[in-house]
Amino acid sequence: MVNCYNPTSLKEALDIIAKEVVTPYAGGTDLMIEPDENATYLFINKIPEMKNIVEDKEFIRIGAACTFTNIIENELSPAILKRAVSQIAAPAIRNLGTVGGNICNGSPKADSALIFFATDSKLRLVSNRGERVIPITEFYLGRKKTIIEKDELLVEILMNRNVLNNYYYKKVGERNALAISRVSFAGILNIEAGKIANCITAFGAISDVIIRRKNIDAMFVGKTIEEAKAVKEEYLAEYNKAIVTIKGRISEKYRKTVCMNLLNDFLESNGI
Amino acid sequence: MMKFILNDQEVTSNSKANERLLDVLRNEFSITGVKCGCKEGECGACSIILDGRLVNSCMVAMGSIEGSTVITIEGYRETKRFAALDKAYASVSAVQCGFCIPGMILASECILDKNPNPTEAEIREGISGNLCRCTGYNAIVKAISIAAKEGKGLW
Repeated sequence: MVNCYNPTSLKEALDIIAKEVVTPYAGGTDLMIEPDENATYLFINKIPEMKNIVEDKEFIRIGAACTFTNIIENELSPAILKRAVSQIAAPAIRNLGTVGGNICNGSPKADSALIFFATDSKLRLVSNRGERVIPITEFYLGRKKTIIEKDELLVEILMNRNVLNNYYYKKVGERNALAISRVSFAGILNIEAGKIANCITAFGAISDVIIRRKNIDAMFVGKTIEEAKAVKEEYLAEYNKAIVTIKGRISEKYRKTVCMNLLNDFLESNGI
Repeated sequence: MMKFILNDQEVTSNSKANERLLDVLRNEFSITGVKCGCKEGECGACSIILDGRLVNSCMVAMGSIEGSTVITIEGYRETKRFAALDKAYASVSAVQCGFCIPGMILASECILDKNPNPTEAEIREGISGNLCRCTGYNAIVKAISIAAKEGKGLW
């Protein structure tokens, strides 16, 4: 029998991953497309510390081994996350696939990762050496490349509680169910005391890494809707430069056009 | 050695941890109601109920199910709920070639288990991961809503 590990606690899992060369297996829905006969799987699908959804003063903390269904069924899950996750694949896949796997697989098409970009979420990476909490924007180095170390596990995703309102989400795929995103877009815009308090946008599935440009979105922050309208052309021109799409199963041009249309629709839905 | 509950019986598998549950069910346990359509979670022909939830058995590594409960069509067909679905599917000719049907029936069970009075949209969502090339789905959707009505109290 091929070696595998079934840790029942996070500590046990970290002890194993510190010493052995293992492939973490959470939901299996990506790994099992091409199972590696030689891999030693570290099954982390039954570790309680990675299955919780809890809240504290600052964050909604989502265990990395929560399945998409766990997220849809939990009342603490933010609406924007539920919306995106409920459009992933189909019920049977959502019953297995996890947010941690979606993130760590390193794909720019990961629909839950897009939401974590659009909510400025943080990742809690833990090893026996200690732990670090980093913004998700710093996690990806390229397609299928992340900064996670061999002895680390993604244990939790930390979502800011205060930026989750007034969201916009669109996934463009070939059909409703079981579709891999061709283009995905998420945006959040909140107004406080007549001024734009935050504007966050993220573009998925169009480049090696999900695109999030804080400096461009900052153009709207602190402005009224009327003032934002005045700089809209400039804002869109900046994004037109920043969005560099790559060819996949569809052309760069199609992706670019759809991105700009979605961005414009997001702004118009907010009166800009 | 992997122990799990298969259709109400405790079984031990000699498979490797990396093997697909689908292959083990068919080859080691001769459970051929799970069909292999795609091996990438796209078709739903290998659907089973794992610890109360619908999953694609091609997407499940044996090492992940130690101690879990697996229900396939072979186990489910012994239930009253199956009898209600069977009758409803037959009443509207919701079965043609039959390849998708074991998965479709288990998906139907999961829809009704969660919600005994599903809307048409909820039914379509519930079977959205199960492909059928014969029926065009409408008869299947109708069958599930008939089962919900005729089988009142079962779910």
